[in-house]
Amino acid sequence: MYITASSTISHQPTFRNKGFSSELIELPQSSDVFHPDYASFIPTVNRRRMSDVLKMAITCTTDCIEQTGRKQPGAIIVGTSMGCNTFTKKFLDKINASKGGLLSPTSFTLSPHNTIAGQISLLLGNHNYNMTHTQNSLSFEQALIDAIMCIKDGCNTVLVGAADEHEGGLYSMDARLNSNDIHHTFGASFFIISTTKPNTPPSIKLIEVGSFGLMIDPIQSINDFLNSNELSVKDIDLVLYSNSHQNTLLELSKFFKETKLFDIQKISGTYFTNSAFAMHFGVDVLLQKEHAFFGQNIKRVLICNNLISENLGLIFLEK
Amino acid sequence: MEDLKNKLKEQIIQELNLEDIRPEDIENSDPLFGNGLQLDSIDALELVVILENNYDVRIPDETVGKEVLYSIDTMAAYIVKNNPAYK
Amino acid sequence: MKLFVTGIGIVSAIGLNVEENFHSLKLSTTGISRSAGYDLMLGEVNLSNDAIIKKYDLPEEDFSRTSLLGLVAAKEAWGEHKIDTQNRTGLISATTVGGLDRMEKYYFRAQQDASFNYLPHMTHDNGQTTERIAKVLGIKGYIGTISTACSSGANAILQGARFIEGGKLDRVIVGGTDPLSLFNIKGFSSLMIYDQNLCKPFDASRNGLNLGEGAAFLVLENEYSISITGSNPLCLLSGWNNSTDAFHQTASSADGKGATLAMTKALAKAKIPAQDISYINAHGTGTENNDLSESVALINVFGNHIPPFSSTKGFTGHTLGAAGAIEAVFCVLAILSDSVLPNLNFSSPIKTTRLIPETTFRSCTNVEHVLSNSFGFGGNCTSLIFSKA
Repeated sequence: MYITASSTISHQPTFRNKGFSSELIELPQSSDVFHPDYASFIPTVNRRRMSDVLKMAITCTTDCIEQTGRKQPGAIIVGTSMGCNTFTKKFLDKINASKGGLLSPTSFTLSPHNTIAGQISLLLGNHNYNMTHTQNSLSFEQALIDAIMCIKDGCNTVLVGAADEHEGGLYSMDARLNSNDIHHTFGASFFIISTTKPNTPPSIKLIEVGSFGLMIDPIQSINDFLNSNELSVKDIDLVLYSNSHQNTLLELSKFFKETKLFDIQKISGTYFTNSAFAMHFGVDVLLQKEHAFFGQNIKRVLICNNLISENLGLIFLEK
Repeated sequence: MEDLKNKLKEQIIQELNLEDIRPEDIENSDPLFGNGLQLDSIDALELVVILENNYDVRIPDETVGKEVLYSIDTMAAYIVKNNPAYK
Repeated sequence: MKLFVTGIGIVSAIGLNVEENFHSLKLSTTGISRSAGYDLMLGEVNLSNDAIIKKYDLPEEDFSRTSLLGLVAAKEAWGEHKIDTQNRTGLISATTVGGLDRMEKYYFRAQQDASFNYLPHMTHDNGQTTERIAKVLGIKGYIGTISTACSSGANAILQGARFIEGGKLDRVIVGGTDPLSLFNIKGFSSLMIYDQNLCKPFDASRNGLNLGEGAAFLVLENEYSISITGSNPLCLLSGWNNSTDAFHQTASSADGKGATLAMTKALAKAKIPAQDISYINAHGTGTENNDLSESVALINVFGNHIPPFSSTKGFTGHTLGAAGAIEAVFCVLAILSDSVLPNLNFSSPIKTTRLIPETTFRSCTNVEHVLSNSFGFGGNCTSLIFSKA
């Protein structure tokens, strides 16, 4: 399974910026999304109702479709922790402000979690499989697992991605993660996974994805994952990790003694589906012959998402 | 009547989030649905909400709705007909 | 590979367990009534959060009702199953409300009382409501939550089937749960598709839906899992499909494209010809748009020979994320009892399509294959097929 297109809009200059992984720096304490000019990607008549996260997801989708020239993916799969929270808040505010009169329905119609996937299918006129996974920090990994199943079921291409928006008034990341140093950001990352090998090398393969909920020992789960893929620690060249627990970091360092470890959370900021950002970062690293930070021998990347301490997401990429 | 029509246009632009449209871009007699603004069934509900919450006039059913929501002219005429404050 | 349904559990407006639900279906007794709190027709579950917490001896925490209703149904379905390291087990649930029932409570309170610090309470996401259920059942590993509006419950079942068929799991408990929320009540009312009286699915004078709450779960196993658990198969899950209408965010297309694709491909998956379907549990919300679009889709797929069909939303109300799972349990009961279920509040057919649903609970010689439809916002269309084991 090849990753033939990748696109991210985030708090970093990632959009249509091949090689971004060599340029990025740690996010400052306060930052904002690098929004492209959405007018050139989304017609006004569609754009007018969209919140930021929808515009980001649709734009990334359009970018991916352009990268591959494949107009109709066999499946559209999205992972999102909170869905279109902006619309949820908007409608709650309307309920609150209402003095018993009629309520404006638009924000309600756009509040379901599957609005992102649904709007993509509308944009593309796509009648195929369409799914939305909402398992907090494992939403993207589960979308990827679903994508792999679609490929094995006979799809030639799958559009898969994740998007989350920040609506601080409705959800408290600090309270959920019990961590002090949270820089709450958001982003959208989309990919096309295909059975067709790209014409231009190198080709990046999605090898395997793991989603472990309510697990006790992340290192044990990582070990089991590597074993089931007939891999050892030595086979992994780079680990991109995301976690908010110092203990896990110590354990990871001990386990991956000689592997390069990189804290992707400092680059992406903290949002539940930032493993999608990490995957694009990993793809970008692998596409380069020699990387400014990691050198030239990076062939296998493992994304290790332990943002919520009991949940572990693993994504394994190979050049 | 012109003030009412202008106010309606501003409210429609705001509530339907018609980002790139100004009131002077909307012709009073042009159909709101189909061509032009390309409004849909959800927008129709929003217009019903605008009429009821701002002008205290109700649309009782879809048949009346189709006639009243045809254009700015028909919406304004309906308000004037059904709300004494606008006569 | 055969996929067996070996456990079912349900809580809805017509009963707090499988037996009570079946009894109400047989007697055509609706669970929808005018709610004192909302002055609307609602399918409320007659079980408080406190009662559920006491019943399962849960810690004194601020649980979302999504988790609590889900727990009641999941516990019933799970029954005597145990966790076994040889038997790869997962949990896939579905919800549209998730933690919103808690969120809206604290949010509204904060609007009234500026001194109330509500943010520390705003931690409930969809996934967490499912994790709460997994914790009580002792399930670790693959724990997932699907959220595709009104097709969520059916999609959770579809996911579970694919995990077993794909060799990733041997046993999976799948279903959906949604409590009532002010958000959804106000939302559907704002769309002007809420019937002020009892909903009338497929009736010419239908006026909209009634909302309901509830939860349902099914245990799916492969043969290997059954060799370990010794479970008694209730029926098979033989076909499934998810397709997209791609017409509008909320409305269904006039030609019922998404629904037609979902049903046609589910039949192909099950390798069953359309005429072998014994009964269809329709999505049938009672809205003008859905029931017409679904009728057109039924004609597209079945031509002049539409099997006995009904919507059971006149019993439970539209339970959104739980609907696909609740109705899946009803389909299993139809197979086990060799009966077709009634469509309440029907008097005359839609003029253009003229389809007439079953209006009484009726025994049949043999209910072999049952089709269940669930269609959600975003044009998301799912059909499941259950078959006699």
